[in-house]
Amino acid sequence: MRYVKIYNEKMQEFLERLKNYGKLYAPVKISDKFYDRKEIDDVKKISFDCLRTIMPAKKFFIPPYEELFEIDIENADYKEKIEETEPFVLFGLHACEIVALRILDGVYLDEFPDIYYANRRKAGIIIGLSCLPDEYCFCNLTRTDFVDIGFELFLHELPDGYLIRVGSPKGHKIVDENPDLFSEVKKEDIDAFKMFEEKRQKLFKYYGSFDNIRYILELTMKDKIWDEEAEKCLGCGNCTMTCPTCRCYDVQDIPDIDGKHAKRIRFWDSCQFRSHGLVAGGHNFRPTKKDRFLNRYICKNAYFYPLGTSYCVGCGNCTYFCPANINFLENLIEIRRGINA
Amino acid sequence: MHENKGNVYSLYKCRVLRVYDLTDDVKLFLFRFEDPDIAEKWTFIPGQFVQLSLPGYGEVPISICSSPMRRGFFELCIKKAGRVTSKIFELKPGDFVGVRGPYGNGFPMQEFEGNDMLLIACGIGMAPLRSVFMYALDNRWKFGNITVINSAKYGKNLLFKKELEAMRDVAEAENIRIIQTVTRDPDWPGRIGRAQEHIRYANTRPDKSYVCLCGPPQAYHDIFTKLIEHGYNPKRIYVTLERRMKCGVGKCGHCIAGTSTFLKYICIDGPVFGYYDIISTPGLI
Ligand SMILES: Cc1cc2nc3c(=O)[nH]c(=O)nc-3n(C[C@H](O)[C@H](O)[C@H](O)COP(=O)(O)OP(=O)(O)OC[C@H]3O[C@@H](n4cnc5c(N)ncnc54)[C@H](O)[C@@H]3O)c2cc1C
Ligand code: SF4
Ligand code: SF4
Ligand code: FES
Repeated sequence: MRYVKIYNEKMQEFLERLKNYGKLYAPVKISDKFYDRKEIDDVKKISFDCLRTIMPAKKFFIPPYEELFEIDIENADYKEKIEETEPFVLFGLHACEIVALRILDGVYLDEFPDIYYANRRKAGIIIGLSCLPDEYCFCNLTRTDFVDIGFELFLHELPDGYLIRVGSPKGHKIVDENPDLFSEVKKEDIDAFKMFEEKRQKLFKYYGSFDNIRYILELTMKDKIWDEEAEKCLGCGNCTMTCPTCRCYDVQDIPDIDGKHAKRIRFWDSCQFRSHGLVAGGHNFRPTKKDRFLNRYICKNAYFYPLGTSYCVGCGNCTYFCPANINFLENLIEIRRGINA
Repeated sequence: MHENKGNVYSLYKCRVLRVYDLTDDVKLFLFRFEDPDIAEKWTFIPGQFVQLSLPGYGEVPISICSSPMRRGFFELCIKKAGRVTSKIFELKPGDFVGVRGPYGNGFPMQEFEGNDMLLIACGIGMAPLRSVFMYALDNRWKFGNITVINSAKYGKNLLFKKELEAMRDVAEAENIRIIQTVTRDPDWPGRIGRAQEHIRYANTRPDKSYVCLCGPPQAYHDIFTKLIEHGYNPKRIYVTLERRMKCGVGKCGHCIAGTSTFLKYICIDGPVFGYYDIISTPGLI
């Protein structure tokens, strides 16, 4: 891997120059507690200590709402609405969120590639940023705390700047086109990088192997904890909307008033909604709140074979944004009680 | 066969050629692809389904119920069940629809070759199994004895009742047995009872048979028990499953089923599953 360093003094200029490569989006503080990833005009507003945004990066690739086709009803003609996506830069993605995008890639760019997603993914430039976990994070357990591919550049905090891993041809291009911004990595930087990594590992709340969680979950699905926790759940769907790997969508045809044309739209859906498993005739594959509640735990803890990790990347968003204070991680720790005790 | 101009959601335009009433709420539609290129190339495996779009109303997953040997045409048997299917019911010859697919794994027809085949359908489940059956008729030499058990609550709900009845006697001479049975119809002159009660009348040899099962999942466990009692090999029992579906291509998440150790998309990993998948996966049926 190619490594370069950038000093803090040059960071502002670096962020400015990123705009040359596309519209720049980065986290900004929008209230006491919340951050959002917004288009950046003034780079001084960018937050470097944001751990989670109210909407995960998936929104740039699978927008909450989009038109797929324009339909000419009489002629049964479906005209695809595929717009050229201008390049854009996403700054400040943490490791878990980059892995999350790779999971979405596995789903959206499989043998039935989704061209709408693919176009946006091609246009997106990903600049990763190191982080220190809070009490919601458990990416160490899900083995998604360090990412090796899926970014152009990844910035690791140093006392006086950042150690940068260059992760793609586009990343090399950015480095090569801006030689005045980058310096060589020195011995002290490597030591500082190692210290940062060590400090970071010590901040996680739980340790050990989590790979058996999917079996333990399967074996404890009848435990009463699931009744109790499901009882608390409001079914609001915040957890799935803020999850970087939840990707369920619904599709509808919306006719125009003239009755001659219609739009085929898709928009985010959630397995926490009753309608998600409902089929014609009134049968529901997940009729109770508990079915829906457990469905998320099952789905998130299932294995995503192409990456060898679970669909859950341990970001903690679902817990952080749950209005009912339901703690995803603590529930999983609870059913594992006895292991690593 | 999903080379839809780079966009998996793109639709092939199809024209309705014929519409037949099968029951009060089920119709059979014959379609043809408008594009002669597609018409020539498009094919599928029995048990696969298409996403059928009615312009301006929406899209629904429907099993293909004809034989893949008839190129350029295909049949869908559709039950009036909700918003989109009710509107599909109003289609007349000459009308257009959009179709994409075929999707799903389908039945492993090649694996079945050289063996007997027992097809057990309950209600609308006859739709995908008719495709298996038609395919077997078109390739009669490839398969051994065949039994079709077609069941429904009432005689009037039996799908393809006339078609199957008409071929019954000729079929016997070809080692094909057709059994139609109803559960709740006092006026029905034929066999009475659930599908599984008629397994014993099948002409299929349990040790040489594959079984395809399609019906309401609630019936599956009981049918499994009966099949195994009769000596059918569990490894050779296949069922089809249903879920709400929006995309058919493993994206929208609606059809995800199973547990954390066996999470499956019914649309791409199914809709056909084997007996052992079913019994080791709570939530699949
Ligand atoms: C693999 C597969 C094969 C099928 N084959 C057939 C067939 O051969 N013949 C037949 O009559 N029916 C079949 N169905 C069921 C058929 O898809 C539903 O009856 C149909 O989607 C109902 O749509 P609706 O708009 O009329 O009902 P609504 O209740 O108004 O449904 C609204 C939307 O929800 C979804 N939906 C609702 N019910 C179902 C359902 N049961 N399965 C999947 N999605 C659903 C659809 O996207 C539908 O447009 C099949 C379903 C699946 C999954
Ligand atoms: S965010 Fe919390 S309350 Fe809302 S659906 Fe998810 S678990 Fe339930
Ligand atoms: S399930 Fe929760 S912790 Fe896991 S990736 Fe989704 S939001 Fe993050
Ligand atoms: S129908 Fe969309 S994922 Fe299976």
